[in-house]
Amino acid sequence: MSDFSNLDFDSMTAAEFEQYLPELFASGESGRLSEDPRLARFLTANPDCAALVRDLETIAETAKGLFASEQEPSDEVWSNIANKLKQQTDNGDDAVDLSE
Amino acid sequence: MQTKPNAGLFKRNPPIAGEAEAIERAKNGDPDAFSKLYSLHKRRVYTLCLRMLGNVSEAEDMTQEAFLHLFRKLGSFRGESAFSTWLHRLTVNLVLMHLRKKGLQLVSLEETINPSEEDAPKRDFGSRDTQLAGSVDRVTLERAVASLPPGYRMVFVLHDVEGFEHNEIATMLECSTGNSKSQLHKARLKLRELLRHPDQLPEAESSREVVQ
Repeated sequence: MSDFSNLDFDSMTAAEFEQYLPELFASGESGRLSEDPRLARFLTANPDCAALVRDLETIAETAKGLFASEQEPSDEVWSNIANKLKQQTDNGDDAVDLSE
Repeated sequence: MQTKPNAGLFKRNPPIAGEAEAIERAKNGDPDAFSKLYSLHKRRVYTLCLRMLGNVSEAEDMTQEAFLHLFRKLGSFRGESAFSTWLHRLTVNLVLMHLRKKGLQLVSLEETINPSEEDAPKRDFGSRDTQLAGSVDRVTLERAVASLPPGYRMVFVLHDVEGFEHNEIATMLECSTGNSKSQLHKARLKLRELLRHPDQLPEAESSREVVQ
């Protein structure tokens, strides 16, 4: 993990910012990078970089919402599972009747 | 050494009513309890497979494999993490094994999760013409994620959607933590490019969506 304690954020170039960005995002996961006071002056002076940070934050935040968005598998999936388990148990100890 | 439960994962995957009892009964071979576990978790497991694989048929096959594997491994679940987190990790590992069997095992994963130059995000990441016009809706983002190169999609889904940490992803993908962070960043940059032209994104493959 990079140590940013000695980095002068105010004099950072856009290219340096690009280089540090993956680590900056990873280290600031508890808060928004766009609201990091260390970056305030740099982002004000570099509106394209500020827009980039905002866009990537928007993408990451919207992605969290995908977690609750679910798809339903077909009924065939359970039928196959139940058949396979029945076959396995028929060959072993006790037969298992798995009807959902 | 006993592993401490991860409070963050419990927060994201809170225990479901009746789940603990179903787990204990299923461990003792109760078929109804296993059926209940399937009903509780089939959507999450299937959706995870679908996002990682981008293909309905393969996702259904892997969902089947995940639950068959669960049936065999349930006895080893000790409740140190949320059951759904444990099941998701099991599913991710099965999907990765499946992908390696399809051909990824011939090259190191460090290389295979790096897409070709053509798929990589463009270098002019900061210019105004790559900026998003505003907010992003979930359906459009889902379609854009499905359009990502597999390596980018994998890291993005695991980190930004499923909530795994970079060190966990690095372990699962057998790559460095730095590589995971770098791939995630490139995935987000690529999504930014794709989301600028939502009309050019392909339709999602499955429409049996259930939003909770």
